[in-house]
Amino acid sequence: MLSYYLKLSWLSIKRTPILTSLMIVAIGLGIGVSMTVLTVNYMMDKDPIPEKSHQLYHVQLYTYGKGHSNSNTEDQFPVQLTYPDAMNIHHSNVPLRKTRSLSTGFSVIPESADSPPFIESARAIDHQFFDMFKVPFLFGATWDAEIDQSPREVVVINTELNDQLFNGENSVGRTLNLGTVSYTIVGVISSWQPAPKFYDLNNGNFNDSESIFIPFSLLPIHEIPSWGNNNGWKNENVNSYQDKLASEIMWNQYWVELPNEEIKFAYLQWIEGYISEQQKIGRFQHEKAGVSLKNVVQWMKTNQVVPSDNSILVGLSFMFLAVCMINTIGLLLAKFLQRAPEVGVRRALGASRSQIFIQHLVDVSLIGVLGGLLGLALGQLGLLGVKTLYTSYSQLVHMDLTLIVLAIAIALGASITAGMYPAWLICRTNPSVYLKIQ
Amino acid sequence: MLKMTNIKKIFRTDLVETHALRNFSLEVNEGEFVAVTGPSGSGKTTFLNITGMLETFNSGTYMLDDKDVSQLNDNQRSKLRNEKIGFIFQSFNLIPDLNLFDNVDVPLRYRGFSAKERKQRIENALERVGLSARMKHLPSQLSGGQQQRVAIARALAGEPLFLLADEPTGNLDSLMARQVMQLLEEINQQGTTIIMVTHDAELARRAQRNIHIVDGQVSDYQQLQPVLDAQEESEKVAEIAKA
Repeated sequence: MLSYYLKLSWLSIKRTPILTSLMIVAIGLGIGVSMTVLTVNYMMDKDPIPEKSHQLYHVQLYTYGKGHSNSNTEDQFPVQLTYPDAMNIHHSNVPLRKTRSLSTGFSVIPESADSPPFIESARAIDHQFFDMFKVPFLFGATWDAEIDQSPREVVVINTELNDQLFNGENSVGRTLNLGTVSYTIVGVISSWQPAPKFYDLNNGNFNDSESIFIPFSLLPIHEIPSWGNNNGWKNENVNSYQDKLASEIMWNQYWVELPNEEIKFAYLQWIEGYISEQQKIGRFQHEKAGVSLKNVVQWMKTNQVVPSDNSILVGLSFMFLAVCMINTIGLLLAKFLQRAPEVGVRRALGASRSQIFIQHLVDVSLIGVLGGLLGLALGQLGLLGVKTLYTSYSQLVHMDLTLIVLAIAIALGASITAGMYPAWLICRTNPSVYLKIQ
Repeated sequence: MLKMTNIKKIFRTDLVETHALRNFSLEVNEGEFVAVTGPSGSGKTTFLNITGMLETFNSGTYMLDDKDVSQLNDNQRSKLRNEKIGFIFQSFNLIPDLNLFDNVDVPLRYRGFSAKERKQRIENALERVGLSARMKHLPSQLSGGQQQRVAIARALAGEPLFLLADEPTGNLDSLMARQVMQLLEEINQQGTTIIMVTHDAELARRAQRNIHIVDGQVSDYQQLQPVLDAQEESEKVAEIAKA
């Protein structure tokens, strides 16, 4: 019977094109607005690395002195580490993988004299960064592990920079001039734009990932500057890069991969041991001194990747959808009551109330699906608007298959809900009233 | 086959209570052709609607093919109506955007027949009313008489026990009315029971039994002989058509 009902629905749409179009537009508008907001919210809240998000931990150490704290976070832990701490805890062999991390940048000097230099963001990391965060390689691979201890000028670039400088050819082995230093390219990564940029939420939650990746071990050699936050709490004379490296300024990040709870427990114990040792030399004097390990999901929550305003926006957009659906109920009533005489005939010819009810629900379902498709198109326009207004959200403004299916499902569900009352009303009408007057 | 006993039907509004049928009793046997007459508002259509289970009644019993209709729920009544009863209306009540094939298909769809069986039945029914060549036409492309013949085909396709006809010739000119009436008589002769509501005394006289309703009650029964036999009727129709 479903194909029969669909055929009748199609005929019904053709019979009342204006009313039907109004309903499709009403549903489409509601879906378009709600899906635009929902898409941004969903993409913000989406687990960027679901297969590992509960194994990757951001390490925080409470290094503040007495009377100091970070009022910006709930647990008051500083979000970054000092350079000495990043260096010291890197000696632990408990984690499966580990990486120090620093946001930085360079002036790229192309080989061709015709091309002007340009600025590119970069990240100083350890060689396991790529495996930890599942960064795909197009050419080559990460640098050797020994470079993290014995630095050499090697670099991994992304495919966009490779396209720009080397026309997309395999550039492994070629030279990249960053400022006054020449680096040898060892790898080219494929396009990789995690959204949110979970591995560094201190410097723009939805910023593009970096084009250049260099060994963290090069920091003291080339005095690599920080392009991210530098937070200090102690009065210190920081007159040189070496002073900064030795200071209590927090400007480095640290990630570890702890595949299970046992390893996590062992790592916590190791860190607590480290803190005890540091306390003996006068550091970690605050009563809250300790360690905090936050996995990717917890780290995103701590950093409020999804602003609380978004929930209000989502609520408002669904209220708008509800208003659209209330209008649709009125239009459906008008459409169905026009068809009451035909329903009378069908009842006389043997259709039961439930069959009439289902027929009309199929009718609204078809309208709902068409409205959903229009809503998807309007949603794309809405996302284009978001992209134009907020360039930092450019990674968020696309609907994946889940959202497309969700949009159709919401349109279908909302339409069926809206169609319940009109369908119930029409199937309850007394058929004999219409049989004389049709 | 059809037995109504002391049926009472009251229509109520906030201000008025109308007794459409009062202690209405009637028995119709298999193969009968019964004409129901009466003045406007006498309860003829209410009787027909209750017979077709399109209306419920307030009290009394109604047995249709040995089933107590008052004990059935909507699904059971709809099934019984679909299987046992065919409707013919004064204004034909064809669905305007379905072609003849699809119009005749409507009751068969609810019956749950296979596509093959439905096709066979539709073709036979349209053949029977002489419209098999126009299956793909829309109702608006047919004359009134042809539309009523399609409605008869639709009513017949499910091979019902009863045909309930409400003023079936009311919207037709005299020639078409006679053709439709002739068709109904043929159908009756082939065994289908017909109950026909009409204002036309001449048509009523052609039924085997005439029931006159006044104020919701049967006021008179008449067992009638057909005015003309079938051959005479065909000749008369041909004469009118020629004129």
